Amino acid sequence: MAKPSETGMEALHHLKSTDPPALLAPSPTLSQTARTASQHLFSCLKPYAPKSPFDQLLTDGFDAEQIWQQIDLLSQPLLSTLRRQVKHLEKHPEESKIVLKKENEFLDGERKILEEKETKRFDDDVDDDDMDMDMDEFDDEEEEEEGGRRESEKGESEDESGEMVEGKGGEGIEDKFLKIKELEEYLEEDEAREYGLDRKKKKGELKLEEEEEEEEEEEDEEEEDDDDDELDDEYEDAEENARYEDFFGAKKKTVPKRKSSLSNGSDEDSGLNDDGAVEKKGGLSTHEKQLEKLQSEIEQMEKANLEPKTWTMRGEVTAASRPKNSALEVDLDFEHNVRPAPVITEEITASIEDMIKQRIIEGRFDDIQKVSSLPSTAPKEVKQLDENKSKKGLAEVYEEEYIQKTNPAAAPISFSDEQKKEASILFKKLCLKLDALSHFHFAPKPVIEDMSIQANVPALAMEEIAPTAVSDAAMLAPEEVFSGKGDIKEEAEVTQAERKRRRAKKKRKFKAEAVKRMTKKARDNTALLNHNEGNHLSVPNGGLFS
Amino acid sequence: MLRRNIRLRREYLYRKSLEGKERVLYEKKRKIKEALAEGKPIPTELRNEEAALRQEIDLEDENTAIPKTHIDDEYANATERDPKILLTTSRNPSAPLIQFVKELKFVFPNAERINRGGQVISEIIESCRAHDYTDIILVHEHRGVPDGLIISHLPFGPTAYFGLLNVVTRHDIKDKKAIGTMPEAYPHLILNNFKTKLGERTANILKHLFPMPKPDTKRIITFANQSDYISFRHHIYEKHGGPKSIELKEIGPRFEMRLYQIKLGTMDQSEAQIEWVIRPYMNTSKKRKFIGD
Repeated sequence: MAKPSETGMEALHHLKSTDPPALLAPSPTLSQTARTASQHLFSCLKPYAPKSPFDQLLTDGFDAEQIWQQIDLLSQPLLSTLRRQVKHLEKHPEESKIVLKKENEFLDGERKILEEKETKRFDDDVDDDDMDMDMDEFDDEEEEEEGGRRESEKGESEDESGEMVEGKGGEGIEDKFLKIKELEEYLEEDEAREYGLDRKKKKGELKLEEEEEEEEEEEDEEEEDDDDDELDDEYEDAEENARYEDFFGAKKKTVPKRKSSLSNGSDEDSGLNDDGAVEKKGGLSTHEKQLEKLQSEIEQMEKANLEPKTWTMRGEVTAASRPKNSALEVDLDFEHNVRPAPVITEEITASIEDMIKQRIIEGRFDDIQKVSSLPSTAPKEVKQLDENKSKKGLAEVYEEEYIQKTNPAAAPISFSDEQKKEASILFKKLCLKLDALSHFHFAPKPVIEDMSIQANVPALAMEEIAPTAVSDAAMLAPEEVFSGKGDIKEEAEVTQAERKRRRAKKKRKFKAEAVKRMTKKARDNTALLNHNEGNHLSVPNGGLFS
Repeated sequence: MLRRNIRLRREYLYRKSLEGKERVLYEKKRKIKEALAEGKPIPTELRNEEAALRQEIDLEDENTAIPKTHIDDEYANATERDPKILLTTSRNPSAPLIQFVKELKFVFPNAERINRGGQVISEIIESCRAHDYTDIILVHEHRGVPDGLIISHLPFGPTAYFGLLNVVTRHDIKDKKAIGTMPEAYPHLILNNFKTKLGERTANILKHLFPMPKPDTKRIITFANQSDYISFRHHIYEKHGGPKSIELKEIGPRFEMRLYQIKLGTMDQSEAQIEWVIRPYMNTSKKRKFIGD
């Protein structure tokens, strides 16, 4: 081939123009054109592929299977890069525009090629009917889109990747050897064998749910989603056991969802989300359920916080700010400062009775005690009748009576007790004093004359306690005061003879006294002498030997 | 009578004024007595007055030894005569209250019940004084349930105001045969847990409502204090077997009393000094106990 690209393009065009029935019957010319077309495509894709063993597609002498294998080898590494690029473009849609502007023309050409490739695929591989249909539909959708150009590159890359993804159903960890899809199939078969669950039934249910949810979406989308879901269900555990998706997320589901969202815009996002939620319900773990519960609680609480509080939670509430009679329904709690009244229980009664019994046994009562009071009146003197014969004769009795009447002081005292007598005297004195204090007109009792010695004291001192004036008139009569004898003459009156007689008398008296004194002195001296001598143990003059 | 009352009141005030000096003297005498008893030297501050005080101590008898306070003075001579009590109610008493007062008449020996009618309190008290009553007891009610008791000692004695709770009357116990008649012997008294000064005072007031009993009487009246609530119980006991077996049979009404005021005059003297009044609104009132433990 001199101009491979052109020949290739021509080949593609040629393929496109042939009738579909003609494609069914194997013909060598058609086959040759197909090979050239695929070679062309291969070489187109080659620059994008990171590393490929083939420079170009070797078609001579290879059958369909081998050619496909070669294409596979080329496109496999592309997948991850394409996926990454798609994600990146998803996040930054403005970049896509820039990219698009650059590669507009290239894409136009590419697009056409793509369409032709589609048809070729359809005719070459009957097994992939569904997918091709999908692709067709997908393509149609793409064309329907507003930003058709925008999506075209994505469409191309996604096309490839979608196919691959549809086929594989995994991300990241998948490679040639570990295929999640196969793993899941194996696990499902195993569990079905073990538990004997009806997987198919569950899948059908899921499908129904999803169909219900998707009201907003277009029919095409629905179909596509259904198909997607079918596919997903095959590879997914419908029995709600913990699976890979529970931990790492059901990535398969999100990818087609994402695609559809990208293609359809944001209108169906909510539907898709519901979809996602509904799908999740089927396979929730306990942890997820708890989280859900918590979430709902949190929402409720937040809602409650936003509303105004009930009146019981507000601070000072007057009657106007709360509903009528609402205070009657609420159990209001007041702090009481008094101890509550005691409720009389059996135990309290029993304890009181025990205490009473104890007291009775001990005999310890709290009755009033009689306080011994002072007698206000003296005990009456009981006079006892003396039954002995009276010692005194009748005459003597009369004698005593007479003396008492005439001379009371001389009468014998009739008191039995000396002490009584003393006490009565003291009391009389006391009474006299009190009377003197309390009477305005005090008259002392008449003094009974008894033979008592009169002291030479002023009269007032004896009679009156509170003397108003001091008098020096003695109680004694003048003749008692006077201690002289006979007629008293003044000095002027005394005669000569009288004077002489007095002097002589005085002398005689003095002499008598002097003699007496002398004798007394002499006697004293001898006594003293004897005494002194006695001390020295000397024998007195009139001693033993005299 | 009026002049006698005036004189008695003056004497009382005089004795009250002397109290301080007497107490000082009493303390000195007590110290000397102690020193003599223990054989220790007499404290130095009393050395000068020691001789005179010693003489006084020798002359003392049991009456003069204890210094008299004016506080329980009203009951100083109360033990000489048996108490004579007048029972009556508030105005327009209901039937249950009348029954309760009838029961109380049997509880207190030597008690008389009169109808209240429309008499004024001061009239009642005057006539009581004239007739030589020692105490007057007034019972109040709330819708048939007795809820107040006022005990007033008569010459011019203290008045104690009680509130009644948990009243169970003999009439409530329908079975008349089981209860039987109430004995009227002079009862023994048990006053439990009256420990503070106020408790002693209350105990005194309650004690002097009853006469002195015979030692072998079987009737017991109990006033048991528990955290300021005084329980009134009325029992008869029997000793069956040995000395330790006692069987109590409860007769008579049972109620809890709560003291809320003591005044130093009679009921009609509204301006009398308040000796003690309950203060429930204080923050610490829940923690304090005024009558006993």
